[in-house]
Amino acid sequence: MIGLRVEHLRKTFNLSKKQRKIERTDVRRKIAVDDVSFEAKPGEIFGLLGPNGAGKTTALRCIATLIKPDSGDVFVGEHSAVKDSAMVRKNIAFLTNEMKLEDHFTPNYLFTYFARLHGVDEADIEPRKAVLFERFGVDKFREVKVADLSTGMKQKVSIAVSLVHDPDTIIFDEPTNGLDVLTARTVTDYLQAMAQAGKTVIMSTHILHVAQKLCDRIGIIIGGKIKALDTIENIRAISPNEDMEALFFKLVEESEAPDYA
Amino acid sequence: MRNIWTMFKKEVYRVLSDARLVVMVFIVPGLSIFVMYSLMGNIMQGQADAVEEHEIIMIAENLPQDLKTMLEARDLEGNQSQLNITIDGREAMDDDTLEQKILDGDIDIALLFDEDFAEKIANPDLHAPPSLHILYNHGRQPSSFAYNRVNMVLMEYRERALIERLEDPNHYIVFEHLPVQIADERVVSGQAMAMLMPMLVIIFLFAGAMSIGPDAIAGEKERNTIATLLITPTKRSEIAIGKVASLAVLSLASALSSFIGILAGLQNLMGEDASAGLSIYGLSEYVLILLLLMSTVLFIVGLIAVVSAFAKTIKEASMLIMPFYFVTIIVGVASSFGAEPATAWFVHLIPLYGATNALSAVFTFNVSLLNIGIVCAASVVYTIVLVFILNRMFQSERIMFQK
Repeated sequence: MIGLRVEHLRKTFNLSKKQRKIERTDVRRKIAVDDVSFEAKPGEIFGLLGPNGAGKTTALRCIATLIKPDSGDVFVGEHSAVKDSAMVRKNIAFLTNEMKLEDHFTPNYLFTYFARLHGVDEADIEPRKAVLFERFGVDKFREVKVADLSTGMKQKVSIAVSLVHDPDTIIFDEPTNGLDVLTARTVTDYLQAMAQAGKTVIMSTHILHVAQKLCDRIGIIIGGKIKALDTIENIRAISPNEDMEALFFKLVEESEAPDYA
Repeated sequence: MRNIWTMFKKEVYRVLSDARLVVMVFIVPGLSIFVMYSLMGNIMQGQADAVEEHEIIMIAENLPQDLKTMLEARDLEGNQSQLNITIDGREAMDDDTLEQKILDGDIDIALLFDEDFAEKIANPDLHAPPSLHILYNHGRQPSSFAYNRVNMVLMEYRERALIERLEDPNHYIVFEHLPVQIADERVVSGQAMAMLMPMLVIIFLFAGAMSIGPDAIAGEKERNTIATLLITPTKRSEIAIGKVASLAVLSLASALSSFIGILAGLQNLMGEDASAGLSIYGLSEYVLILLLLMSTVLFIVGLIAVVSAFAKTIKEASMLIMPFYFVTIIVGVASSFGAEPATAWFVHLIPLYGATNALSAVFTFNVSLLNIGIVCAASVVYTIVLVFILNRMFQSERIMFQK
């Protein structure tokens, strides 16, 4: 099993005229991720905790090689996301709410399609499909077009499809967002099972109790910067008189408005 | 290669498994062309028949008897069809009433001869020839038709009168007019096809690609499915090639549907000539045409793919493609109404125009393998450049993910 290492990741974006108006600034470049470094080890769930707009998704998209960092790098095992992005993609599963499956196809067709694109051997596709479809309850809906599935079932199909190649590193952005309690439980149970199986799991969330419940270690990200990085217990020890929620709010309040370059 | 094939199959399946798309891409183009051409053919034939069968209502004043006999003979010399005519006298109709009746369509034509017209024809005065006023309404088809047909009889009447005035009728023959047709009938038929087909070929290829291209790329961006694809280890170049190759095959199939529609419709539009026109070509011409189509469709889908990748939505892609479609129509029309196909090799380097030019040459049996080779090679090079650009666009987060 291989771990994941993020080193001094920085990502900035140009702000369009419309975005500048919304954010009430004249500055043309926004720092979304600012010198973020952390490590996630095999067998643990690492959580990126932060409010909306903190830079969690951008950081994860850099890690997944969907976007390129301005500086810094990400290593999945020994593979650099900057220099060897295809190998990184081969070894990770990545899912965000913005990644959709084509409505026209069935889960069965999409699973096979993405398995082939991930280079899974033909002989391994059906057994893998059987395991994941059963685990996420997709079996009954395998021949139903994605367009006709419920939101929860779509999410479960997306998760199953993202795991077609049985990767060592799993990166999920807000995986329980918008899901009902039962579906969310299926997802979190699976993430824990994967960690127990020795895989590296990274997830982002803006919900404190989800991070507390699931993650072995967390990085609190606010305004693109990591404000705290440790186990839940050690972070709580920073300010023993406050509960975790109070500490989180304190960090958010202390944080300055988003930085602009 | 495996990934390209996987992408290719998925894109083709995406279209073939969608009944709405199958109807829109493969059936509607051919069917609509067939229906349109058939309707045009029927309407044109119906109009021609109606005019042919129309009974000409003529008012004549001082009509010479021998001319009346000729008009009523209904079997004109050198004129295969009979003249269906009713001739009435002017009676007491004044000029205004006569003109109004012609305008209203109650009368098709009026021939107003001088009072002594017949006498002056028999005893000509070279300085004071008799006159004939012809009133007709060229804004009405039956009236124009009546004028043309009656005029032919008048020409013949004049010719007869002239011959009678000559001492020796043989003096009328200045020279014998003996045209000899030496043209290759295949080339003559081919010219008609060359006027029509390259224009239709290029326009239908583009229209076919335009109906599916934006959905395949801009659609993926709009539906947020592109990231799911880009997160796989598949190379961006494989995605680009898979998309372009599948679009090329589907566009070609869509164009084929249009051709079947054209062929079936042309027979209704032009009659026997149309089917005879296409049968003059042999296997070698059809192979060359197919070669030109394949290379051209590659360029077209490459272009549409790049424009679609640049757009954020299908609607935007369709809008951005429109100017290229208009250019394609202009190129097609220019090749139809231009002079003979250009033979200079460098002309064949021009995208689309080179292909229409080479197609015209094939249709008129002026095949230059060198020029066809240049068209194909240039299209392949342009497509490689476009695929390279598409590959770069798939790598650009700004183009792929910016909302």
